[in-house]
Amino acid sequence: MSITELSPPVSTPLFERMTAAKKAEVVRELSDLLGARYVLHTPYDLMLYEYDASIDRSTPDLVVLPATTEEVAAILTIAARHNVPVVPRGAGTGLSGGAIPIYGGIVIAFARMNRILEIDYDNLRVVVQPGLVNLHLSNALNPQGFYYVPDPSSQRSCTIGGNVGENAGGPHTLIYGVTTNHVLGLEIVTAEGNVVQVGGWTCDTPGYDLTGLLIGSEGTLCIVTKIIVRMVHVPEAVKTMVAIFDTMDDASNTVSEIIASGVIPAAIEMMDGLILQAVEADTHAGYPLDAAAVLLMEAEGLSEAVAEQVDKIVSICNKHYARSVRIAADETERQLFWAGRKNAFGAVGRISPEFYVQDGVVPRTRLPYVLRRVGEICASYGLKVGNVFHAGDGNLHPLILFDSQIPGEVERVRKAGHEILAVCAEVGGTITGEHGVGIEKQEEMALIFSEVDLRVMQQVREAWNPQQLLNPGKLFPMPGRCADMKEL
Amino acid sequence: MVEIETFAATIRQYAPIAQLINEPDELRNYDVDGFLPRLVVIPDAVEQVAQMVALTNQQGLKLLTRGGGSRISLGGIPEQFDVLLETTKLTRLLEHEAPDLTCHVEAGITLAALRAQLATKGQWLALDPPDAEQATLGGILASNASGPKRFRYGTARDVVIGLRVVQASGEVARSGGHVVKNVAGYDLNKLYIGSLGTLGVIVEANFKLQPFPTSEHTILLTFLNAADAMQTVINILGSLLVPSAIELIDSRAASDMTDFFGLNLPTNGYTLAVNFEGSVVAIDRQLDEMRSLARQNGALLGDDLSGEAQGQFWDVVREHTQGSVTCKAVVLVSQVVPYLQAIEQVCRRHELEAAVVAHAGNGILYIELRPGDATSRLVEAITELRLHAQEARGSLVVERCPIDLKRLISVWGEPGPDFYLMQRLKQHFDPNGTFVRGRFVGGL
Repeated sequence: MSITELSPPVSTPLFERMTAAKKAEVVRELSDLLGARYVLHTPYDLMLYEYDASIDRSTPDLVVLPATTEEVAAILTIAARHNVPVVPRGAGTGLSGGAIPIYGGIVIAFARMNRILEIDYDNLRVVVQPGLVNLHLSNALNPQGFYYVPDPSSQRSCTIGGNVGENAGGPHTLIYGVTTNHVLGLEIVTAEGNVVQVGGWTCDTPGYDLTGLLIGSEGTLCIVTKIIVRMVHVPEAVKTMVAIFDTMDDASNTVSEIIASGVIPAAIEMMDGLILQAVEADTHAGYPLDAAAVLLMEAEGLSEAVAEQVDKIVSICNKHYARSVRIAADETERQLFWAGRKNAFGAVGRISPEFYVQDGVVPRTRLPYVLRRVGEICASYGLKVGNVFHAGDGNLHPLILFDSQIPGEVERVRKAGHEILAVCAEVGGTITGEHGVGIEKQEEMALIFSEVDLRVMQQVREAWNPQQLLNPGKLFPMPGRCADMKEL
Repeated sequence: MVEIETFAATIRQYAPIAQLINEPDELRNYDVDGFLPRLVVIPDAVEQVAQMVALTNQQGLKLLTRGGGSRISLGGIPEQFDVLLETTKLTRLLEHEAPDLTCHVEAGITLAALRAQLATKGQWLALDPPDAEQATLGGILASNASGPKRFRYGTARDVVIGLRVVQASGEVARSGGHVVKNVAGYDLNKLYIGSLGTLGVIVEANFKLQPFPTSEHTILLTFLNAADAMQTVINILGSLLVPSAIELIDSRAASDMTDFFGLNLPTNGYTLAVNFEGSVVAIDRQLDEMRSLARQNGALLGDDLSGEAQGQFWDVVREHTQGSVTCKAVVLVSQVVPYLQAIEQVCRRHELEAAVVAHAGNGILYIELRPGDATSRLVEAITELRLHAQEARGSLVVERCPIDLKRLISVWGEPGPDFYLMQRLKQHFDPNGTFVRGRFVGGL
C-alpha cells in the first residue's frame, strides 16, 4: 500500500547487485532449466514483484516460476553457485516486507505450484503446494463439511506457503490457533538445494520439531515446497453478533471480561469509529456511523453450546453499556458483517491515500490502556489512526493514515509506529502477532528481545543459511540500519 | 579434567546455597541407565542454574538435566556425564494472569502443584501426562509428555507461549513471550519442546490456560473387535462431536486395570472410553449421539463415569502407558486396525504378550510388551513393529525398557534424512557438548 523507496543500508550490503554479465548468465541457466517464459527479467516484468503490502520496495534481478520441487532445488543450486540471494513469494500480500528482495537477486514466485496434492478425509489431512490460495483450500473441503482454519483477511489471495512463512493468523484463530497449530509436516529445499521432508503425516515425529521451527521463519531458513495440514469439521452452528459501544473503553473492557469469564468465542474483532465510517462508505454493512467502537463476535460449535455462549456474551456486552447487540439473522447478514471487517483495510483506502498497519499484541487486560496510548501517540504526530483488530487475542492493528506526498509524513508514521510497538513491549506484549518481522520491524526486535535472545535465534540461521542466501537482511536488527532509524 | 571435588568447591563459591550431593550412597538415587553422576546440583534460583551450566561448560564437564525424574528412562543410553542438574527447587508460580488466561512458572514446579494453584482461579493448564505429582513442567516440556486430552487441547507446542532457557554458555535466552499470539523471531519454543535437554535447560515457561469446563462426562463402550471400535472413532472424527479424549483399551490392558486398580472393565474385546467436557446440555446431546453412533457399530454400552470415579479412571489409563517395556507407536488413525493386527501377529511369532492403550483419535498406541526380560525376542519384535509403523507413515519410540534391552536397540529408531539439520542445530547450540550426548535421536 505504498510507494516509499527503501533507504539504502548504511553498512556494506550483504550482497552486491548483480552485474549485467552475471545476470545474463543466471538468466540463461535458469531459462535452460525452466523454459524462457518462466524466467522474468525485463524491468517491465519485474515491476510487479518489487513490492508487497508493506511500506518498502526493492526490485529483484529476476523472477522465476518453477512448477516442481526439483526445479526449486535446481534454482537454489544455481543461486548458490553464483552467490545470488533468493526470496520466496506467495501472493505478495505480506505486510512486513517478507517478500521484498532487499538486495535484488532471484524471487521465486509460486503461482504455478498451487495444487492440492492429496486429501484424506479419514485422517483429516491435506497435502498442498505452497502457491495454493488459502481460501481455495477451504472451498475444496467445504462440500465434505471440512475447512482449513487459519483465515487471514487476505485469504482470497494469500497463499498457504506465505502463511507458513509468516505463521499467519486471522480472526478465527482465537480457539483454534494460528498456522503452526495446523501444519504437521513440510517438504523443504535447503539453502544448499537439498530436498528434505520434516515432520510428517502423523504427530510426534521423533527428533527436534523442525516443522515448528520453520513455520514463521519468513523464508530465512529454507524454501517450502509442500505442506501437510490438518482439516477441521465445519461447525454445526455459527452465531455472529455485533455490539455497538459509545466508548472504546467499554468495548475493551467487554473483551477483557468475556475472556476472563471463560467464554472463548471463535472470534472477537474490534473496529473503532474511524474504521466504521470507512467501512460503511465501502460495504454498507449496517454499522452505525456515530459509534465509538463495534465488537464483531462469533460463537461457533454445537448449537446448544453456541446458544449458551451467545447469552453470556450478550449479557457481558450489556453490563458494559453496549448501545445495542445485534445477532445476524441469517447467513447473508453474517457475511455482510464479516465483509465489513475483512474489507476494512481496503475501505480505509477510500479515506486516505495510504496507510501503515501495525501488528503488536498486548495482554488482553491491557487493551484499554494501550488503545488510549495509540490514540495519544498518533495525535502527537498529527496523524489519524483507526483501529481494526483481533481483540480476543489482544492483537492490535492500528492503521495510521498518511500521504507520502507530504514531506516528512513517512518519517512521522514510522516514528509513531515505533512508539506504539514500544508501548506494546512495555506492557509485556510483542511487536507482531501475525504479520511477521520482515524488514519493517527489524529494529523493534530489540524492544522485546535481548542481545542474547537474538544471538541464540541467529544460531539457527547460521546453522542452516550461513551465507544468508535465503531472504537476506530480514528479521533481525541490522547494525547498519540502526543509524538511519535514529536519523528519522 | 578437573577433579569433581574441586569443581564442587568452585560451585559452592559461586552459589553457596545450592544443594550439592556427592556422597556415593546418595548419588545412587540419581542413576540414569546405569550411569551415576559424580555430582548432583539442586539450585534454587534461575541465576544459579545459569552459573552451574557456565561452570560445567568452562571445565569441559558433561551435564544432564532432570526434573522429577518420572521420564528419566526415556531416551538412549547417555554417554558418561559428570553433573546431574535437578530443577525441582525452581517451584515458583511467578505470575497467574487469570483474567488474561496466562501464567508464568519456574520449570521445576510439578504439574500437580501448578494445577492446585491455578484451580483457585477456576483455570487449568491443558496438559495431562501421567505422574502429575512427580513430573515437573520443565520435564514435561523437555520430553514432550502428553496425555489423553491432547485430542482436544493439543500438546506442549500448543500451550507454551514463552520459555526461558539456559544455553550451553550459561547465558539465559528468552523465546516467545507472555502473550497468546506472537510471531516475532524464530519460534524456538518449538525447538526446545521435546529436545530432551540437548539444547539447553528450560528454567521458566509461559502458558496459555483454559477455564475449567462446567461439566465433564465419560462414556465407556465395549466392542467385540478392533475394526468396529476404530470405525466408531473415524465416525467421531468426521462428525460434529467434540470429545476431549478418545481412548482405546485392549482386553489385556483392561484386565490389568481391573486386577491392579479395581476398575471394572470388560476383559474381552475392546473398550472405547470417550470423554466430553463443556456445558451440561451440550454434553447430554453428545452422549446421545455418541451412544447411537456406537450402537450402529455394534457396541455394548458400558458404564458412564463422572465425578471421582471418572477422575480415577483416567488416572489409571494414563499410568498404564508406563509398563516396564512400553513402546509408543504413532500411525494414521485409519491404520490403527491393521497395526493392532500386526502387533498380534508379531507377538504370536515371538511368544510375547502385548497390552495396548491408545489415544485412538490421534493414532497413538502405547504398547506394553511382556515378558520384559525376553530380551532377544523383544529386540526382534520391536524392530518389526517399528517397520510396520513406518509403513503406516508413522514412527515407534521405545519409551521405557530395561537397560539390557536398551543396549541392543535404537529407542528412537534410525534418524531420517532431516537428521543433518538437527545435528547442525546441536552443533551451534552446544558446540562443546556440555549437555550430555547419547540420549536423544541419533545420539544427539
